[in-house]
Amino acid sequence: MGVVEGGEIPYLPTALPKKKANFANRLALDPETKCYLPGVPRATYMPFPFQIVQSAKVIMINYEYDGAVRLINIDSKKLSPVDSWMGWSNGRWEGETLVVDVTGLNADSWFDRAGDFHSNKLHVIERYTPRSADTMSYEATMEDPETFSRPWKISMPLYRHVEKDARLLEFKCVPFTEELLYGNLRKKAANDKANDKK
Amino acid sequence: MMRTKLALAVALAGLLVAASPAWAHHAFSAEFDINKPVSLTGTLTKVEWINPHAWLRIDVKSPDGQVTEWMVEGGSPNTLLRHGFDRNTLEVGTVIVVSGYQAKDGSNKANGKDITFKDGRKLLMGSSAGDSQPSEK
Repeated sequence: MGVVEGGEIPYLPTALPKKKANFANRLALDPETKCYLPGVPRATYMPFPFQIVQSAKVIMINYEYDGAVRLINIDSKKLSPVDSWMGWSNGRWEGETLVVDVTGLNADSWFDRAGDFHSNKLHVIERYTPRSADTMSYEATMEDPETFSRPWKISMPLYRHVEKDARLLEFKCVPFTEELLYGNLRKKAANDKANDKK
Repeated sequence: MMRTKLALAVALAGLLVAASPAWAHHAFSAEFDINKPVSLTGTLTKVEWINPHAWLRIDVKSPDGQVTEWMVEGGSPNTLLRHGFDRNTLEVGTVIVVSGYQAKDGSNKANGKDITFKDGRKLLMGSSAGDSQPSEK
């Protein structure tokens, strides 16, 4: 069971120790627990909905998680001026399928909570294909010659929220982790019993 | 229940802070000294495109051959992009001349005003010095 085709992520021998170290210390190291933007493709399978807004030249994906946003430039050859959390997306249509090349991702995001990581040489090729009125097939192929010995692929169906009043809500993540990240820097209030117990 | 959660959060906080990068968002005068202008010629060793301030690391060679590492603060990544910087202008190994202001504590840290490249091109770094004026002597 799993979304990775072949069941295994093909790490280079040089990259495997970092994956193991990440896993061993995942609660402290996972960028998601600190509310950093999830990167691609992780944004797709976070347990939060996203909304696709479409025009001829640009497609925007709004993610509820952390208010993350991607702009997919259609038929553009431009590349990112600098690496970023959500990277740079250039898309094209292959028949019914939207194919998106994602580059310019920084090396700080992970694929999951198990410490699976990549370098900033990561190139993700996403394929969004309608399969029924309310479902899509999603595929993402990962190429990163600094981390993996060959390209590898994940695939999963995406389901539309069909509730009558389905909509994105605000989920700004940082306020929920502020105490976790910076609580020890806070000035102690006179009536702060939680701190007294420490 | 709430209290247990908080205690757990506090216990984790130390771990996470130790692992997370330096973070600071501050007024210019809190960290840098407008009366300590510096001009640094050095080789870029690292660029950290992080908010709210990007940081450059440069190796500065003194006339006697000694190499000192300096950290130079710029504006946010977006500010730098809008001023004409990108991954190619700030490639590791590039020799640059930075003018800016040294940290108040005298460490090898500076707030960058502008960068001059070998070809004479000069780009502003979105310094937070703003309207700070050197004090009258």
